[in-house]
Amino acid sequence: MAAVCTVYTVQSLNSTPTKTHLGFHQKQVVFYSTGKRISSSRRCSNITCSAADGTKTVVIGLAADSGCGKSTFMRRLTSVFGGAAEPPKGGNPDSNTLISDTTTVICLDDYHSLDRTGRKQKGVTALDPRANDFDLMYEQVKAIKDGVAVEKPIYNHVTGLLDPPELIKPPKILVIEGLHPMYDERVRDLLDFSIYLDISNEVKFAWKIQRDMAERGHSLESIKASIEARKPDFDAYIDPQKQYADAVIEVLPTQLIPGDNEGKVLRVRLIMKEGVKYFSPVYLFDEGSTISWIPCGRKLTCSYPGIKFFYGPDAYFSHEVSVLEMDGQFDRLDELIYVESHLSNISTKFYGEVTQQMLKHNDFPGSNNGTGLFQTIVGLKIRDLYEQIISSRVGAPLEATKA
Amino acid sequence: VRPVAAAPEGLSEKVAESVKKAEETCSGDAVSGECVAAWDEVEELSAAASHARDKKKESDPLETYCKDNPETDECRTYDN
Repeated sequence: MAAVCTVYTVQSLNSTPTKTHLGFHQKQVVFYSTGKRISSSRRCSNITCSAADGTKTVVIGLAADSGCGKSTFMRRLTSVFGGAAEPPKGGNPDSNTLISDTTTVICLDDYHSLDRTGRKQKGVTALDPRANDFDLMYEQVKAIKDGVAVEKPIYNHVTGLLDPPELIKPPKILVIEGLHPMYDERVRDLLDFSIYLDISNEVKFAWKIQRDMAERGHSLESIKASIEARKPDFDAYIDPQKQYADAVIEVLPTQLIPGDNEGKVLRVRLIMKEGVKYFSPVYLFDEGSTISWIPCGRKLTCSYPGIKFFYGPDAYFSHEVSVLEMDGQFDRLDELIYVESHLSNISTKFYGEVTQQMLKHNDFPGSNNGTGLFQTIVGLKIRDLYEQIISSRVGAPLEATKA
Repeated sequence: VRPVAAAPEGLSEKVAESVKKAEETCSGDAVSGECVAAWDEVEELSAAASHARDKKKESDPLETYCKDNPETDECRTYDN
């Protein structure tokens, strides 16, 4: 049996690359051995075999319905790692991929097995597993994780057709975002961390009205009909994935304003699974206690309807979890730094990093409420997780070569 | 609320068309596969239109100009 081996330089393991290594970064040398041990070559090259635990790329899964803020989350996440994420240069203008220095984000719609016409003929939605090629998804995500570049198809959202493929090189961090990142067990097992954005029906409706009412042809009825029609498939195939997520961000209508359904003031819950390797949940004041906190008072003035926090242990799909909840919205920055200073385990590198990240993107949707805050915190937790995974590999590079 | 800017490249027309088609398809049978697939197409196009609108909105006229003309007075920036 042949083992697939990948040669790469130490540069990818180090946070501070030296000049001499720069040219090697994208070069992936793949060769096959007949199971014999390969000794590490001189200088800075490292050899790992995928047969051993020599995975290089860290893979993150993000699941959410369309129109639920995946792209905003992605922009916040890539910003934590620094550098802007942009579509591949010179390729298909309708490519769904975003590439930054450290991160590559691929959209799982690219693994549709049926194009728009095909789905209409068969009478299935994009949510239906029958419209998706999970075998190809698994093979390509696995290949990237093993350090091998792949030719990934492109699903064109404008034309509804499957376009010719684009080359995806293995990045440091691969994010797969879409409707089904945790649906297939094989793909799920490849994920180092998984997130589910859970938007309640009321909020989804309010957001889609904001998004679509301006569009010609749409009416309240058509927006409602579209949500209703997709709901059975959503409940059957998308929603159940949240039980596998390491972190779930739930977005609910506020409880501070009775009968509010505008979707502007939100109650957002960050549900964090306990016992996940390299991921320690955020807590408020005292880990494991149940706490309700209203930061408004003598030290902080909040306008109507104010801000309310909750923290406590809970059970989620019979998993032990910690829940951090924020209801209400920020009016000013000093409120956020005040809140940040009372949160622990947020994996910041300096005091005020959460606030700084939020300020940097104060024009993104959700920047004044819990969605932006929790998305930023999850971004920092992912950076922490990535750094821990990398340093654990640096600690045992020789063991990895022993296949 | 009226549109800030309509989605470009005829996407607006496509959305309107798909809504009309979905309403027609569903007038006979509201739970058939064809009906559900038609509304799914509406969602996909609406999302694409909204993404296109966001992209368009984001562009600052001066920034766009400076990308092409970095040497002009209004665009020159020095790090030190």
